[in-house]
Amino acid sequence: MTSLLASMWLPSGEDLIRFAPELALVGTLAVLLTVPLVIGRSSIVAGRIAMVGVVATLLLAITVGRRAIDGGLSGLAPPAAGGMLILDNLTVYFKAVLMLFLAGTIVLWFIISADTEQHGTEFFVLLLGSALGMVLMTATLNLLMIVVAIELASLPSYAIVGFDKHNRKAAEASLKYAIFGAVSAAIMLYGVSLIYGLYHTLNMTEIAPRLVTHLASGHNVFTIGIALVLVLGGIAFKIAAVPFHFWCPDAFEGARIEVTTWLSVSSKAAALLLLLRLVDALSGAAAAQGVVLNALTGLAWVIGLMAAVTCTWGNFAAYRQDNVKRLLAYSSIAHAGYMLMAAAVFAHPASVRADHSPIAAVLVYLLVYAVMNLGAFTVVAVVAKATGSESLSAFNGLGRRSPWLGVAMVMCLVSLVGLPPFGGFIAKLWLLLALGSQGGTLCWLLILVAVGNTLISLFFYFRIVRAMYLFDDRQPSFSAPVPGIALVNLCAVALLLLGVLFINRPKLIADRYARNLFAQRPAGFVQRPLDRNDGIDPGTAVVRADEASSTDGPSAKRR
Amino acid sequence: MFTVGLTHYLVLAAAVFCCGLFVMMTKRNAIGILIGVELLLNSVNINLVAFDRYRPIGGTDGQISALFVIVLAAAEAAVAVAICMNLYSNLNTIDVDRGDALHG
Repeated sequence: MTSLLASMWLPSGEDLIRFAPELALVGTLAVLLTVPLVIGRSSIVAGRIAMVGVVATLLLAITVGRRAIDGGLSGLAPPAAGGMLILDNLTVYFKAVLMLFLAGTIVLWFIISADTEQHGTEFFVLLLGSALGMVLMTATLNLLMIVVAIELASLPSYAIVGFDKHNRKAAEASLKYAIFGAVSAAIMLYGVSLIYGLYHTLNMTEIAPRLVTHLASGHNVFTIGIALVLVLGGIAFKIAAVPFHFWCPDAFEGARIEVTTWLSVSSKAAALLLLLRLVDALSGAAAAQGVVLNALTGLAWVIGLMAAVTCTWGNFAAYRQDNVKRLLAYSSIAHAGYMLMAAAVFAHPASVRADHSPIAAVLVYLLVYAVMNLGAFTVVAVVAKATGSESLSAFNGLGRRSPWLGVAMVMCLVSLVGLPPFGGFIAKLWLLLALGSQGGTLCWLLILVAVGNTLISLFFYFRIVRAMYLFDDRQPSFSAPVPGIALVNLCAVALLLLGVLFINRPKLIADRYARNLFAQRPAGFVQRPLDRNDGIDPGTAVVRADEASSTDGPSAKRR
Repeated sequence: MFTVGLTHYLVLAAAVFCCGLFVMMTKRNAIGILIGVELLLNSVNINLVAFDRYRPIGGTDGQISALFVIVLAAAEAAVAVAICMNLYSNLNTIDVDRGDALHG
């Protein structure tokens, strides 16, 4: 016992400061829970506290990120077990985007639900709790921690989907979500237990090189394959990739609209970045050992085909929907498919030595996707509040009944399709360029699928536009709440700016964040090119094995 | 004399896992499905503890993970049962086939 205590590792103050954003989020949760004891229950107060906490988290994330971005990477973990909690550029970027989006969601709550809300405290505890889980999901390479973070993100999500207790649809949606979620988490855990059995550790940075060695030499390939497929299944559930998507349209239709908005971006984004991190650990280890692996090609094809089927299925299913919320739920499945394509490219051995353009493309896509989804869902929310209906017919003549909403909705929808001059086009363009620069059969197949799907998606997005401008059944016009119009138009203008004036800026930022990625590398890892303009010349940027292992991430990156 | 080794535990865990999957797929009662999920999680626990017991070098990662899994299972069950209660108060049944307001 005494030896255990002596060997216990405690984080230093500086370590803790690096994780100030997460701590701020936890602190906000505590304040949210204790304030009602002092001043009584008030939904508005809870909303304000949540807003302040989220903005503080955002500012802290940016401040900490400034210090982290060019070299100051770190992990909060006992030195021997790196990867328990990681601070690197990926987590910083994700935290900033997620908190921005969470702030938007809270604004949406103020616009739509604040006046009728009975249980604001509980709502925000659940909302921020799931946000904390998603932040942790992207910030770890420890398999147990990954599972705990996924559960932390999922459990509040199940509850928040069924938050309206007397809504039959919501009750059903939350049950479906909870059962699918529980099963997929259990299946993923089984995969984790198999990996633990093979390698006797849960730390992915230690597992990856040995796993790659095993794959190259043909040891345990069957067990490894099963374990990887099970873990991938658990993550694919969170992304709502086909064939793990069944919960998604139901949960999104049954939930409140601000919850749908939140889940449609955040849960997919977090799981995608987690997948990217795992895939990078594997392909990085493969690159370090200089082996070209058929198994990793197999993994790339599995993810790639999943991505292709996901976006095709999402787009075709969306076409038949009459409920706009459900339609946007299918569209979110399709967009998750586009982003998943980048993960597939990343696993492709041909791209192992290349730059980080797939990651950068995903980061840009996430930002743009968050903005356009927030805009589109806000319009649906405002229309549903004014007319009491979420069906497509509620949008008839919206262009006349509420011109400001109509124009902004068109901009968001065109951006969702991926047409110029909006941000959605630029995001998709970077994605396709990243695919194209990798080459190979899989990438060209994915490009074809992405372009074809863009054409298909045109039809169902323009059904909404058609309803708004071509069908007018003389319904009375309504005055939408000013904050709602402001939020929608803010999103639309942001999309326009991203597509016209600031085309390069998000990409440059994302490049910067994507390049200097991942805190702790397995020993013997081959460093990728760091300099933005040096092209692909791995020979100049090789970190020797002894150098990489003797120094921690930060100093290795600071060269 | 018959000795119990790692393989036996793994076979047991796999059997429990398959039972869990079977229960989960055949039961129409929401509580029944949750029991299936518990079986799945417990098969994970058997795996983790067995791997830990038979690992060549010392360490307790597996046992600690098993503790975490137990806590996760409890938390998940709490939320899922609350959701079942909510469904019951809305539909007067927890038969998942009767929930047909959404077409998934």
